[in-house]
Amino acid sequence: MKITNLKLTLLSAAIVVTGMMSCGKDDNPVPTPAPSITVTDSMKIGYSDNHYAFYSFKDSSRVNLSDSASTKWDFGVRFVSIIVNSHASGPGNAGVITENSIFNNYTTAPADGYGYDTSSTNLAIDNSFSTGWYNYDNATHVLSPKAGKFFVIKTADGHYAKMEILAVDYANFNPPNPTPDSLVYKFRYTYQSDGSRNF
Amino acid sequence: MGKKSLHIILFLFFFPTVIFAQKHGRDSVPKVLDEVIVTATRTENKVSNIPLPVEVISAKNIQRSGSQKLLDILQMQTGLVVANNPLGTSLQGYPNPFGEGVQMQGLDPAYTLILVDGEPLVGRNAGILNLGRIAIGNIKQIEIIKGPATCLYGSDALAGVINIITESSSENPVRFQTHYATNNTLGLTGAVSILHNKTSVELFANRYSSDGYDLDKNIYGKTIDPFRDYSGNVKVKFQLNEKSDLTISARYFSETQFNNYLIYPQDHPEVVKGTTRETDGSVFIKYNHKLNSKVSYYASVYSTYYHNNAAVFLEKNDSFYERIELTDFLLRPEIQVSIGKNPSSLFTTGAGYNIEKLNSTRYNSVNKLNSGYVFVQKQLLVNSKTNIIAGARYDKNSLYPAQLSPKIAMAYKPAPNFILKGSVGAGFKAPDFRQQFLNFSNSLIGYTILGAKELAHGLQRMQNAGEIAPSVDIKPYLHPNDLDPEKSIGVNLGFDYTLHDNTVFKLNVFRNDISNLIESYNLPFNKTNNQSIYSYKNLNRVFTEGLEASLTNNFNANFSIFAGYQFLIAKDKDVINDIKEGKLYKRDPVTYQTSLVSLSEYKGLYNRSRHNANLRFQYNNVSHRASAFITAKYRGDYGYSGLNGFQNGSGVYDDDRETVKGFVLLNTTLSKKIWKDWEVQGGIENILNYKNKTLMPNIYGRTFFINLIFKPKKIKQQ
Repeated sequence: MKITNLKLTLLSAAIVVTGMMSCGKDDNPVPTPAPSITVTDSMKIGYSDNHYAFYSFKDSSRVNLSDSASTKWDFGVRFVSIIVNSHASGPGNAGVITENSIFNNYTTAPADGYGYDTSSTNLAIDNSFSTGWYNYDNATHVLSPKAGKFFVIKTADGHYAKMEILAVDYANFNPPNPTPDSLVYKFRYTYQSDGSRNF
Repeated sequence: MGKKSLHIILFLFFFPTVIFAQKHGRDSVPKVLDEVIVTATRTENKVSNIPLPVEVISAKNIQRSGSQKLLDILQMQTGLVVANNPLGTSLQGYPNPFGEGVQMQGLDPAYTLILVDGEPLVGRNAGILNLGRIAIGNIKQIEIIKGPATCLYGSDALAGVINIITESSSENPVRFQTHYATNNTLGLTGAVSILHNKTSVELFANRYSSDGYDLDKNIYGKTIDPFRDYSGNVKVKFQLNEKSDLTISARYFSETQFNNYLIYPQDHPEVVKGTTRETDGSVFIKYNHKLNSKVSYYASVYSTYYHNNAAVFLEKNDSFYERIELTDFLLRPEIQVSIGKNPSSLFTTGAGYNIEKLNSTRYNSVNKLNSGYVFVQKQLLVNSKTNIIAGARYDKNSLYPAQLSPKIAMAYKPAPNFILKGSVGAGFKAPDFRQQFLNFSNSLIGYTILGAKELAHGLQRMQNAGEIAPSVDIKPYLHPNDLDPEKSIGVNLGFDYTLHDNTVFKLNVFRNDISNLIESYNLPFNKTNNQSIYSYKNLNRVFTEGLEASLTNNFNANFSIFAGYQFLIAKDKDVINDIKEGKLYKRDPVTYQTSLVSLSEYKGLYNRSRHNANLRFQYNNVSHRASAFITAKYRGDYGYSGLNGFQNGSGVYDDDRETVKGFVLLNTTLSKKIWKDWEVQGGIENILNYKNKTLMPNIYGRTFFINLIFKPKKIKQQ
């Protein structure tokens, strides 16, 4: 198992402003593109942590565990479980839809249809073995996010984002010891700060 | 695999035909044998009368190879590939509990029925039967039927049947053999054959042991642990009178494996030591009676058991750590009646009853499966050119819906040396005990697996114990559908072409459509520890199709050659559907670009080689009483999920970075007769020293062996 160098990953976390429409300076007045940002980031999580690790799209950063009861975070990860900030999981107004298509081509979040966590064991995002968001290989222990699967998230404070997990790497994994020290979740997301549903 | 290498293979394949087939029609050239087999029809039949793809491995070829392992002998056959259980490949120093089996027509080892003298062995582990349980020193011949044979043998005979026929009246009254090979591997075989009045007795004993080996010094523990096998066999046949005989046979096998590896109880390495002991035994009684020239019948009772007991202890204080135990028992009375004459018109019918019991540390209680079956078969020579075999079998039991498995096969001989063969048959594989009765909770991670029959009971128990939240509605899962058997339709079409009696070319095209494959799935709610609950249901549909060709040529009395080739495509139909509907994506592991998987990118099921080929040369030198035997097996490129950590999120084999390169196993054996009744053999296995420590832990690398055989011929009575 190749171990991702976390520092390097964080340093190279590319912040790209999607200026698809703004590159060409046409005569035709084009509506100013929505100020959405696409970010690739990663979080390192202890394999046997019994708490979630939280992340904020707006700040592009991890949120302290002490703020778990606040609306500062948008999603949380623990092993293969992912929570969003509302109902059973947090005080916010978040919701999530699991989408199957190509991340880059997905341009508008739906107005409704968002699910939420109804209890700590009944999460909106399917975390199970065969139907969930990842493939797990019993023999090689490779945990691989299913391609084409990403999450359309209404954030704690009512903004819209789309988020895709790109890779889950094991850090400090020394077979035959079956448990790695930690997991590195690599993900990308597009966050629309103007409150619209367009990415 | 490139086009070039395919051309080379095709050339190698047809080259002998061109050179040898033309010129040698002399009388001295031995004919290619038309063996008599029993597996295809449950009655004695010449291979040329059987409209099915059939292969026979003779005792001679087993002896010529000098090999002591059934798996090595089987994998030198066309279209048979050694397949590891995917769980058994990267256990990193752990004893591999699954072992290797034989893939036939692209189907996993679980789909081939393994018989010894027509009766099944029990004790499959994750579908794989440890073929090391079968000693090879008293094999008379191995009969291989490809394509579904469920119409005669019931469950598991979906890809085909391998029937190991043991010696019944050997021409050698005494045989003794010692085998010594790399890794301090020692084999001792002794056999005695007695014919007194009208009673024949066959005695056989074998001891086989090895120090095992270690392919990866960085991992604690050996790749293959040291082991010691004992097996014994007694077969007595009483000729009661001219019309009836009684056979009683018993076999016993035991293997002790000495395990030593690391475990990680609290993330902290601990050395454990222990033994894995496998024992297996059976008793078989059969009464044959010929009522008159047309009607004969037999009645038999077969009983077998298998026991596996693995116990390990912590090395530091010798304290008990873990024990896994499994016991499997089968009792089967059976009768079979044959009316008519073979091959002109023969009707065969039979019925039997299986009582099977299984007990394991992973099951709640002793599990029982009782099933009855009845089968009919008609062999008919329609005219001098056409013969037909039609049959069907009905299996009924308490655990899954009754199954009717018909099959029809036909042969047509437009010329005496040309036979066209075709067959269509249905096959099924019953849900195994694990899929029905497993009740297992992983202590490390905390997930639970429940077999289909355990689901309701298990869920209720877990909810009562607070392992499932009281708010979860488990009602919809309290009456799960019965698991259906996995089903298949197999079609085989081909021909045998004989040239000058000494050359036979065979071709067979096959297709198997399998539905209802049983897969694990997870319930839509979790345990209170947030871990999943899994059970089993019928899900996938796959197909395998391909072509098999072989050429046998007896160049002259002292030189013969055999060449075989299999082309195989095996794919998941549901994956193909997903691709067609644009629902399957992949993600570039470097750029993270997502795109649709195309049909042309999908290469098929993992662990299947598109190309397999094998060659066998045999040379006798009469004046020196010596012979040479060379075999080679090419296993082509195949896919392996997550090879080198590769992942693109599609979950299917669609990228060359998951391709394991093909390889060749080359063996050679030289034999020389010395004095009157002795023979010395020396050989090298895996001459090219192929190794792959993670994917092929069963292959050691280059191995040397030497055999000493004592085999006096029977003294002719005057």
